[in-house]
Amino acid sequence: MPSAIPPPPPSLTTYLRSLEDTPLDKSITTLISLLKRRQIRSSRSCALATTKLLIAVVEAGSPDSSHNTWSSTSALITRIRQVGRKLISAQPKEIVIGNIVRRVLGVIREVADRDSETGNAADLSGSEISGPTSPVTGERSVLPMRLSEFSSRDVLSGRPGTADSIASSTFSAPMAGPPTQQQRPNLMNAPTGTSLFSILQHPQQNPSRSTSSPYATPPAGTQSPALRPSPTSKSTISNAEAGGESLDIKAEVLDGLAELLDELSVVDSQIAESALEHIHSGEVILTHGSSRTVQRFLLTAAGKKRKFTVFVAESYPNDHSATHDTLVNGAQPPVSPDDEGLGGEKGRWRGLTAAGVTVVLVPDMAVFALMPRVNKVLLSPHAVMANGSLLAAAGTEGICLAAKEHRVPVVVLAGVYKLSPVYPFDEEGMVEYGDPSKVVGFAEDGRFVDGVDIVNPLSDFVGAEGVGLYVTNLGGCAPSYLYRVVGDHYRGEDVDLGVEEAGSRV
Amino acid sequence: MAPSVGGDPAAPTDTAASQSAPDGSSKAAIDGAQTSKTSAIASSGKQENGVANGETKASGAEAKKRAKAEKAAKREREKAERAGAGGTAAGPQASEQGGQSSGALKPTQNQQKGQKDRQGEAKAQAQAQTSSKDAKASHKRTGSVSAANAQRPLALRRRPSQSGGQAKESKQIVKEVGLFGHLYNQPRRYTIEGASKAVHPAVLALGLQMSSYTICGSSARCVAMLLAFKKAIEAYSTPKETSLPRHMSSHYLSPQIDFLKTCRPISVSMGNAIRWLKDQIIHIDPDTDDGEAKAELCAGIDQFIRERITVAGSAIAASASTKIKPGDVILTYAKSALVEQTLLRAHEAGTDFRVIVLDSRPLFEGKNLARALARAGLRVQYMLLSAAPHAAKEATTVLLGAHAMMSNGRLCSRVGTAVVAMLAHARAIPVIVCCESVKFTDRVALDSIVQNEIAPSEELLLPSAAAGVADGGSLAKWKETPGLQLLNIMYDVTPAEYIDMVVTEFGFLPPSSVPVVHRISTERDVRT
Repeated sequence: MPSAIPPPPPSLTTYLRSLEDTPLDKSITTLISLLKRRQIRSSRSCALATTKLLIAVVEAGSPDSSHNTWSSTSALITRIRQVGRKLISAQPKEIVIGNIVRRVLGVIREVADRDSETGNAADLSGSEISGPTSPVTGERSVLPMRLSEFSSRDVLSGRPGTADSIASSTFSAPMAGPPTQQQRPNLMNAPTGTSLFSILQHPQQNPSRSTSSPYATPPAGTQSPALRPSPTSKSTISNAEAGGESLDIKAEVLDGLAELLDELSVVDSQIAESALEHIHSGEVILTHGSSRTVQRFLLTAAGKKRKFTVFVAESYPNDHSATHDTLVNGAQPPVSPDDEGLGGEKGRWRGLTAAGVTVVLVPDMAVFALMPRVNKVLLSPHAVMANGSLLAAAGTEGICLAAKEHRVPVVVLAGVYKLSPVYPFDEEGMVEYGDPSKVVGFAEDGRFVDGVDIVNPLSDFVGAEGVGLYVTNLGGCAPSYLYRVVGDHYRGEDVDLGVEEAGSRV
Repeated sequence: MAPSVGGDPAAPTDTAASQSAPDGSSKAAIDGAQTSKTSAIASSGKQENGVANGETKASGAEAKKRAKAEKAAKREREKAERAGAGGTAAGPQASEQGGQSSGALKPTQNQQKGQKDRQGEAKAQAQAQTSSKDAKASHKRTGSVSAANAQRPLALRRRPSQSGGQAKESKQIVKEVGLFGHLYNQPRRYTIEGASKAVHPAVLALGLQMSSYTICGSSARCVAMLLAFKKAIEAYSTPKETSLPRHMSSHYLSPQIDFLKTCRPISVSMGNAIRWLKDQIIHIDPDTDDGEAKAELCAGIDQFIRERITVAGSAIAASASTKIKPGDVILTYAKSALVEQTLLRAHEAGTDFRVIVLDSRPLFEGKNLARALARAGLRVQYMLLSAAPHAAKEATTVLLGAHAMMSNGRLCSRVGTAVVAMLAHARAIPVIVCCESVKFTDRVALDSIVQNEIAPSEELLLPSAAAGVADGGSLAKWKETPGLQLLNIMYDVTPAEYIDMVVTEFGFLPPSSVPVVHRISTERDVRT
């Protein structure tokens, strides 16, 4: 449910509400202007708004079609890329927008792959050739057999390091495509010639991508298995029953996007699940600002009767009032991805102090003085780059460096949606500058403002060396491993969307 | 009812009134706001009085009861008022009155009288303050007192924390940050109530100026203290059967120093100056005539200020400004008189450079520096400390002021300095500390927790919250939130390895040479 920085609820909620009954083109332009005007900010709000809008785009169907359908996945991809480019260039500094667009494209491409595979398989089964071995795949065919046994369900049930992760990274080219039980036999049954043929058939598939890797985000359906039939089973049914290919694409893509939406809503509770692995009793923790992810994480640990102390740097002048508010009244629950707030918590969360945690609010400049006594630093960034560096609220770099100087581990809590495949070539360009009147208002000291150049940066870029550990909704990993998690979630062909993004010099 | 009740309790209420008068005088605060407050009490007292007069025709017992209730209510209000004014003497008076509250008319009249007295006294206090303003003006001549504050009327100088300062004490057990528990016994005095009679008015005024940050900064406080002591010494006369060297430091200066210590913990430079002054006093020949000895001491003080602070400051500014090259971007944090002097000097010398001033809550001292520099025509950027990495990217040199240099080479300065030094060090930007040798100490420090100064937590409230505005931010409720603590430390200790150079009046030093120079300079002091 929760995430990074408190969104300005009116704009995001009103936008999500209006999405239902507004024409699509207007929704797109509204979101663009909201992003430009920074009325929707914070990673989570942007992610949510982007996802919802792209869902609406998919639902609306192809602009050329009169039946609200999509004739082909390539048309859908073109459309999503086009809308995505608009959104990204509206606010290039919100890295998350680009992440979500790429994730959506990834979902579509996955559907496209499955689609073409099943199409292939149907043709091939018609020719009734079903030899399992071949000169090329002879030895490998054993692995796919095992793979089908260790289907994605095993991975989801938390069994790490099964053969498929190795297999998929090593032999992903011949067996690319989601390792689902329905499709795998088809692929294996393919005759020698076709198996070679299929290698050539799908050169665009990203070898590094594999949905079955243990680090790939499990479908959020695992959270509520009863509610949603798995997209694959649905697809087979629809494949079997009707030849309505175009409808199938739309439904499958929407299913994938619903999973993405679910991921956004459970990401913080998933991260918080590992709280007890990181917080021991009597610990002194330093955090910065009012991130909901961190609040949730700490609350979970406090709820399990761990007594600890939290120092909170207030993040003056851009986020201090939210920090104060969170500390005194408890965190605002985030805007629910479901418009009506399906089962979402009403009202505020319990404050950390109410959970029995000693909370000390400190000004930002005191972090160095406190650092020798701090056991752990908990941060929640705006965005995380593939190389393990991160972008977070201004003041973070000072905290990370002080922590490094005092050998205090920095634990960064970030949902996978914050991971960006973009490599930060231009660190300066990623930093956003804000309203200088928050530093000194013209009204309070006009002559001062006149004579002095006032600067108010909103974000800090922190290199990977400043971070000790990343905790994502998939578990913890070292900054150096992050590129792999990124590889699991994005398709290589989507990394370059053809727009100028912050930090990337395309 | 009046005769039946008034006769008997007259005596006790009189004592109450007489007690409230001195009480009031001591509590009468120093500014106009307080005066208006007391007059408000007086008028409300009058009103009540009228009500009581009009309705006493009812039954005696009933009137008695009502009078009691009114009195209790008034006591409550007064208590609150007093707590607000930072008074501590509310307790005894209230309990005294609690015993005998049957009088309805007399007491209110008496109290009214008492309040009028109080008003008068408050005015007197205000006058005392204006005289202290003169003293302040003389401090200003040294150039170390922050200029911006000097023009403001005294009434505005009080920190928002003042009103809450004492009320906090009842809940302090919860509101103290455990790690810093040992630091919370430092007193912060905002009124002259309960000050020893021996304390000279100039010192009284100075104490309040220090606790309200009107005079802030290590050397400024040191100079102001010495000047106040000079006034005090001039007013001193040796009692019979003792001699000046024997009596003055232990019996006359000590209460002054103790008073200053209750206003704000004294700085290292003040401690050094006091040590020097006591040494001077001891070395006066007991046979010297009072006037002569005092003149000698005053001349000595003037010389100390000139040598150790004024001239030392300009020497440091002169040598440090040679380190500023054309095109440089100088990064500094908060406000240091020495850094300001250095930058202005380099600017006057025609060097073309620009300055980034970093600043922090709650004191915003850097604003004064930025303003002064901008007025002098320098190109100034102003950022808050959270922007330090951005500033450090552009900076070519970091110039820092000091509260004290520790014997192990570490720098004790305004909290936040260490962050700036660390960021600069990480980017291999030279960090230069400007520090007079009077700020050197033989104490050592490893972290910022053992030795530090805790300022009242209320200073961290946003201005609107501190003023008690309803929508003044959620932090206004912090005291009612159990488990929530605010930490407002004043200094932090910068590791010696972040510091590349210390500029003193003896020249450029590495931080490791601090103890050596300290030894030399104190030896010289003792010899003279």
